[in-house]
Amino acid sequence: MTAPPQLRAGPDPGDAGTAAAVIQTEALTKRYTSEVTALDGLTVAIAPGITGLVGANGAGKSTLIKIMLGLLPPTSGRAVVLGHNVAASGERIRTLTGYMPEHDCLPPDVTGTEFVTHLGRMSGLPATAAKERAAESLRHVGLYEERYRQVGTYSTGMKQRVKLAQALVGDPRLLLLDEPTIGLDPAGRRSMLDLISRIGTEFGISIVVSSHLLGEIEQICDQLVVIDGGRLLRSDTMTSFTQMSQVLLIEVDEGAAELAAELAARGLEPRRSGRGLLVRIDGERTHDTVRDAVADLGLPLNRLAQQRRRVEELFRDNGDEEEERGDG
Amino acid sequence: MTADNGAATAGAAPVTGPAAGTGVIHDLGYQHYDGPRLGRAAIIRALYWHSLRSAFGIGRGAKAKIVPILAFGLMCLPAIANAVAVATSSGHARIVDYDTYTYPLRTLVMLIFVAAQAPELVSRDLRSHVLPLYYSRPLRRHDYPLAKYTAFTVACLLLVEIPLIILYLGTIISVSGGSAVWGQTRALIPGLGVAALWAVLLAAIGLVLASFTGRRAYATGLIAIYFFLTWILAKLLVGIAQNGAAPGPGGLVAGVPLGARLPGLISPFTVVDGVRQWLGGTNPGPIPNPGSAGVAYGLMFVLLLGVSLGGLAARYRKVGAS
Repeated sequence: MTAPPQLRAGPDPGDAGTAAAVIQTEALTKRYTSEVTALDGLTVAIAPGITGLVGANGAGKSTLIKIMLGLLPPTSGRAVVLGHNVAASGERIRTLTGYMPEHDCLPPDVTGTEFVTHLGRMSGLPATAAKERAAESLRHVGLYEERYRQVGTYSTGMKQRVKLAQALVGDPRLLLLDEPTIGLDPAGRRSMLDLISRIGTEFGISIVVSSHLLGEIEQICDQLVVIDGGRLLRSDTMTSFTQMSQVLLIEVDEGAAELAAELAARGLEPRRSGRGLLVRIDGERTHDTVRDAVADLGLPLNRLAQQRRRVEELFRDNGDEEEERGDG
Repeated sequence: MTADNGAATAGAAPVTGPAAGTGVIHDLGYQHYDGPRLGRAAIIRALYWHSLRSAFGIGRGAKAKIVPILAFGLMCLPAIANAVAVATSSGHARIVDYDTYTYPLRTLVMLIFVAAQAPELVSRDLRSHVLPLYYSRPLRRHDYPLAKYTAFTVACLLLVEIPLIILYLGTIISVSGGSAVWGQTRALIPGLGVAALWAVLLAAIGLVLASFTGRRAYATGLIAIYFFLTWILAKLLVGIAQNGAAPGPGGLVAGVPLGARLPGLISPFTVVDGVRQWLGGTNPGPIPNPGSAGVAYGLMFVLLLGVSLGGLAARYRKVGAS
């Protein structure tokens, strides 16, 4: 009943932008009930490459991914994935897309090879091709001899890799990865991110990777889409995020509070960070201002260093002086 | 799209992306797949075939094959016994009927098989939350239950029809003359039809009950209890009604009181037998001939089948969207 009519949708008229964009949404809204709104008028364009989809839990990331797969009909607005409208061509989109769900989705009593082969067949590969592609995909994610073992005996990291392999088995043009690093230890996260980065750059597959940890995925993304409460907070390339995230770290042996007051008086917005102060760099003038302030107060300057703040910090409230750093 | 660039390995082209810093160089490059991609119908067929195999434990461990093999062996016993009896006795008379086929045994075996194997087809996938992986592929929402139902119906069909074929072959080997063989064939055909009714209905009920829970043990228990209790209840009520009517001097068929003709509607097994008798089957079954109430059995059959299949479809409509 809820299934959209399977019309063969030609290229959508008036979509000049979709030629470049992998995903494009216009005023996309999804309401589950009158109170629960998962997506609220989201308009965003996602270019080829690796895109981070960032937001807190419940921000609407998973809902957006399901709409892009044509599994959930949007309440209003529209979404175009790989040039196909999700409302009309969900099946076609799912042929071209690999999906890695957030939660556990592996039966324990089959081997990695059997599992990925079966899902390769479900992606439309003939029997022999499914076997070959399953072996290939498992090798690419770094599972070799283990692939003949039952999935139930795998470590969390290996399970995540199998989930990635099943998304990769049909040779998709787009991968949608929902929280791929969840539940992994730091080393496991690192190698999963490396793997995703390699798939995006070497395999030529566009990737949308969702995470609630911005600091983590910003390292591998070309583009970031930040959503909050179902609305777009910001969407931009990493380059422009990086430009606005240049900061100057100032450490003085004493008198940090005086310096902070002095810098604020001179029009900067210093923030405490551990033992030092951080100010956003706004051209050459920033360095001069800091130098003059330190000199005028006669404080013992210990360290003056230009840093790239992690993008994550850009989204923190300014008044919120968090001593604790997430991970690093 | 940049798809074509992807075949290049890291070593062949200067990598300017974020991976440049990782220093990982892989000599085995990624190969894109440019072979044929099968359509939805072929995917449903593949899922059907996969499910049919798993209904008999094929492609699973040895433990998964115990129940199917046991069920099949038990189900074939009467046919084998018949073949021996027909070959050795002088009259060459068939000792088992095609349409009722030792119904207590068939009921028992089907109860065990459906209760044990329907969860194998659907509960496992629910338990391991694997369904989103199916639904993120070209399949549509109803394709999954459709493939599962078709596979399980065929599995049940094989289980009830193959013994009938053995029964038939074991009989005609010993009889002589074309008319005798023709007679056996004519008796076999309605038998195959009745067996098909069993398979079509029991597979649907088994799957919809199993799809309620991801826990295999619960699913098996639910199916077994439903089949067993309704069967016992139907038999009990028929027995009570017949005992009450026994002193009466009525005829054999016309004397069956309405109270004994209706309880069969409770159990799927007796519903199937009611339909058999309504359609003209004369061999004695688990319930007395429903007579004028026969149409109720026909309707009940359609109702049970419809509710089961509708429930199955509704179940997976919800799962697909969640």
